Amino acid sequence: MASLRRSRRDGAIDLVFLAPTLALLVGLLAYPVASGIALSLHSARGFELTDYVGLDNYARAILGDAVFHRSLVNTVVFTAAAVTLQIGIGLVLATLVAGVRRGGTLLLLAFSTPFVLATVAVGAVWKFLYAPYFGLAPTIGSALGLDLSTVAPLADTETALWAILAAFVWRFAGFTMVVYLAGIQGLSRDYYDYAVVEGGGWWQGLRHITWPLLWPQTFALVMLGTIGALRVFDMMWIMTAGGPSHATETVATYVYSTAFRFLDVGYAQAMAMLLLLVILLLTAIEYRIMSRRAEVVSS
Amino acid sequence: MTRLRWPRWSTLLVGLLAAVWMYPVAWTLTNAVRSTADIYRAPWDVTWPPAIGNIGEAWSRGQLGTALMNSTLVTAMTVALVLVLSVTAAYALTRLRPPGRAVLFMLVLAPLIIPTEVLIVPLFSMYRTLGLINSLPGLALVNAVANVSFATVILAASFRTIPQDLIDAARVDGAGRIGILLRIVVPLARPGVVAVAVLVAVFTWNDFGGALVLIQDPDAFTVQLALTRFATFYATDQGLTFAGLAIVILPPLLLFVALQRSFIRGLTAGVVRR
Repeated sequence: MASLRRSRRDGAIDLVFLAPTLALLVGLLAYPVASGIALSLHSARGFELTDYVGLDNYARAILGDAVFHRSLVNTVVFTAAAVTLQIGIGLVLATLVAGVRRGGTLLLLAFSTPFVLATVAVGAVWKFLYAPYFGLAPTIGSALGLDLSTVAPLADTETALWAILAAFVWRFAGFTMVVYLAGIQGLSRDYYDYAVVEGGGWWQGLRHITWPLLWPQTFALVMLGTIGALRVFDMMWIMTAGGPSHATETVATYVYSTAFRFLDVGYAQAMAMLLLLVILLLTAIEYRIMSRRAEVVSS
Repeated sequence: MTRLRWPRWSTLLVGLLAAVWMYPVAWTLTNAVRSTADIYRAPWDVTWPPAIGNIGEAWSRGQLGTALMNSTLVTAMTVALVLVLSVTAAYALTRLRPPGRAVLFMLVLAPLIIPTEVLIVPLFSMYRTLGLINSLPGLALVNAVANVSFATVILAASFRTIPQDLIDAARVDGAGRIGILLRIVVPLARPGVVAVAVLVAVFTWNDFGGALVLIQDPDAFTVQLALTRFATFYATDQGLTFAGLAIVILPPLLLFVALQRSFIRGLTAGVVRR
């Protein structure tokens, strides 16, 4: 007969099941964070640490590096736009797909397929779509009798970031749609019947029923989208490598080229730690604002 | 009466939108079997008969055989590792009572807010010291860290739905922790386990950043790195590039279409806890 009181030994055995995961996190997360902090406080020759320089690397990034400033602004602007568009487009697509009589699965597949494509492929294809002379705009232009043959969004410092944003949102809006669609399908029909009885149209339904009731989904998607966009590296690296003249430089691409092209690793890691700080700060702010709203909705 | 019934034209509109949405994908696949000259002459056409030769040439010149093998190995190792880690972790966090369970859950979620991009320099430095640069198992470990959190979240949600009565009954019959996990929890949570496997496989196959830094020897290139070779060496050979892209995107695409239910269940369970 097993005793009802659990011994300390039982708890320890339970802990063993978590040990492999915790070991991996210590080795490949906690240790790199610690050594990354150390790295950021030193100057380095190649990957060998040399002198302790305190916060000099941080000061250099914050006070003196115009490219870092540019990359930070790009990253935050890109993130704000990407999250807003992913949420907006994903929600509208989800309500549209939820409302069709037939072919819902097919539509779901069509919109979510880009999400399973590799960034390298998405980047290469969109780069071709944006190409001058044989890209999308020149072709449409010649069909309409306009000369758009030199339109090249990725080569223009004014438009390059937005051009990449379009490809990025194309890739991830399907993911938000899938999450919202599952949420809508989990809602009771009564809510909408009530709205129809009250004489509300689709906009009222979206605003007063779907949006507030799907707040948990929005909450999670905003947090995930923010982290996913703040870390963005591969999309930029493949489409523009941060150019033209740093117009699409993000903190992550700048960290990469500083470390692996210019071999300035202490400085690169200081910027990486600043990016981590921005991620923690922005998600903490979002968490506070959005969880307060969640209480209002549920009460 | 059904929810928010849309007028008929909106079905047409969303269908059109879906066609536009899929266009770049379809266009990649059709251009994969067109000659470069054709693509430059008329980028948006379809050519008949298809230039099947593209595929073979992309395969050999891009050394895709080796890359596909490497990617398959990394993906298989990552999926196996993540499954073992997340199944045991989710089991401990939902069905056992380790001391400090809430804090432990937060720790397991830490990789979600500390992305690989932030740690890539110290990881590279560490891997260089350990001689793990160009190591496929080494790359699998980094991918495992990136995937283990959401895998655990999905499985925890799935494990919570298992009735406690079943577990209590097994315990009365004398089953231990491992027995309950293997004979009751995992079989009953099979949809969740499949969802995790599919998601991890797709994300690992598509990983670019980690491989870019940790793999340098062309013999150890994953498919994503092999694709960049097209951009570098065959930048003007669009037919070849599209063929390479098609070969690389096809495995996750087929997996997604075949297992879309699992895939979508996984995505939704990973986002919102019920």
